Amino acid sequence: MSHSSSLKRNILRQAVAENVSTRKGELPKARRRPKAADEPQRSAWRLWLFAVPVLVLLVALPLMRRAPTAQAGPPPEPGGLTMAAPVDPRMDLRYSAPQPIDSDVFPLEVRRIVIDPGHGGDDTGTVDHDLVEKDLTLDIGQRLANLLREQGYEVLLTREDDRKLSLRERADMANEQHSDLFVSIHVNWIGHRGIRGVETYFLGTTEDPELKELARRENRESGYSLADMKLLLEGIYTGVRRDASRQFAGRVQRSLYSSLRQVNPKLENRGVKTAPFVVLVSTEMPAILAEVSCLSNREEARLLSRPLYRDHIAEALFRGIRGYADDVNQTEEKGS
Amino acid sequence: MTDSKGPLNVGIDLGTSHCAVSASNGQRQVIESYVGWPVDMVARKVLKKSVLVGTEAVESRTMVDLHRPLERGLLKEGSEKDLEAVKVLLRALLGLAGVKRRGKDKTHVRAVVGVPAEAMRVNKQQLRNALEGEVDALMIVSEPFAVAYGLDALLHSLVVDIGAGTTDFCVMRGRFPTEDDQRTLDNAGDSIDELLLKQLREKHADAQLSIFMARAWKEAHGFVGEAQQRVTVTAPMAGKPTKLDITDELRSACESIVEPITETMRDLLPRVEPEFQEKVRNNVILSGGTSQIAGLRAALQAGLKPVGGGKIKAVKNPVFEGSDGGLALAIDAPDSDWDKLG
Repeated sequence: MSHSSSLKRNILRQAVAENVSTRKGELPKARRRPKAADEPQRSAWRLWLFAVPVLVLLVALPLMRRAPTAQAGPPPEPGGLTMAAPVDPRMDLRYSAPQPIDSDVFPLEVRRIVIDPGHGGDDTGTVDHDLVEKDLTLDIGQRLANLLREQGYEVLLTREDDRKLSLRERADMANEQHSDLFVSIHVNWIGHRGIRGVETYFLGTTEDPELKELARRENRESGYSLADMKLLLEGIYTGVRRDASRQFAGRVQRSLYSSLRQVNPKLENRGVKTAPFVVLVSTEMPAILAEVSCLSNREEARLLSRPLYRDHIAEALFRGIRGYADDVNQTEEKGS
Repeated sequence: MTDSKGPLNVGIDLGTSHCAVSASNGQRQVIESYVGWPVDMVARKVLKKSVLVGTEAVESRTMVDLHRPLERGLLKEGSEKDLEAVKVLLRALLGLAGVKRRGKDKTHVRAVVGVPAEAMRVNKQQLRNALEGEVDALMIVSEPFAVAYGLDALLHSLVVDIGAGTTDFCVMRGRFPTEDDQRTLDNAGDSIDELLLKQLREKHADAQLSIFMARAWKEAHGFVGEAQQRVTVTAPMAGKPTKLDITDELRSACESIVEPITETMRDLLPRVEPEFQEKVRNNVILSGGTSQIAGLRAALQAGLKPVGGGKIKAVKNPVFEGSDGGLALAIDAPDSDWDKLG
């Protein structure tokens, strides 16, 4: 067989394999660590290792939330694993403030994902001619849901049609469904119309006046009173969820930028940012808000009007989510 | 599924503007990617058909509900009518290639279909659904890859396929191209038509113009670079045929795709292993209907000068190069592979 025919045969085999994989709804899997011979034993160890802190936390967390202002007691021990010590759960009442805990000790598998298409009903979001943010976010959300479902994830959309939901209702839905991840999809509007880009948020404070304004816009119609907000902010269990949300946001932002700039070469990477969006405050799982495009930019508005580009956005979000889920699962495999 | 003559292999180039098929029985056919249904009983009586395909549909556009069901080489979404139109289009195309799907002589069809380089899995699945029942086994590949395969340019080459809906890029490195090797831009024939129409409407506010006229003028007179002669066309103005000089607008619309394509080539080339970059630069293959615009090849080649220069070759038959490549793939794939794709 000549080199040319051998090359052809090899490429053809790869083309067939790719088609067979697509038919089965598969994507190339992330590289996984091969299982070692002592895997069952190690799994049992890992299960024990993770079960203890998780159980302790599950008992302690509600108690801590009921007493957010308790101040008594010594400062916390450094390192989250100290919480796993077999102590009387009531002792944890001494911990008045949320404590940082390494999220790697909670390698819970990602199964259920809530997708939140931003805005809806008479809350249109940003508008540019015929393009309305609430329609774009729903369209992208539905495309993303299809991709995730094909891969076996349980997916819930906070809205499946053009209806108005308060931010509180969105967060409540994710919490009541015990979702593992929460992804809120939005389309940005930036005063400087030359800017085009993607940015991903996780919960945090900001001093940036533009971000404050963005948060104020997105938090409109939140459904929360000021008193609720105070309780929410005090009750955030910052350590685990914030770390996980930051990692999650990083994954999604990298995927959005690297995928979309291939079809939108002038796209800017506006980065991972923190801002106090209500949906991020009140959700109880790793949560992000992705601004997937800038409707204020003429070229991006043109791209957004095209289904192919919205597919690209959904696929980029999907890759980011799957990448994060794979990270979580690999952490589980690595053990402590 | 009985056919004593064995399976018929076909390669299909599913284009936004034209669909081409090359079959192992020697047939090569191309149709315009339009489908039209008569709008009412009167139209049905006049046209004497329940559905029209290709040029016939375009020419009867005043009497039909006209659909161009492929948008940038992919199925449009959200409309049952467009999905049905794709089925009609593919059935017509396969019929022209001699495929029979009814009766005792039903043809066993193995098809390789080319789609834009960055088509997503959902698009490919939609295409599979549309082709269900029309073919027996299906392989979907990127259009520029099909071109490269047909030309045996599988190593150290860059295919730039400029169609109506998309411009697709694929660097061939002796392996099945991955996402990193491919790009899709929507700067292509349609974007030229839209820009030309917009500019002409701005300049001649009273002229009655349509996208069909802009497309026809581009296809007849499109050029990049210095004009050899002024381009004058006729269009109605308040019902009166009027001569319009469209030279400057036509040039600017056609040149609008040069920079994005050049930028994308320059973006892809540094991703090739450094020792092979020169080989790839000197082996750029230009295909697709829009690549026929006069002066485009030279302009793109000039765009490679800042990165060391290169050589761009135009394919001999841009209409069938993609479908011929698909056919070559279909023929080369052994039965065992086709069994997996049935």
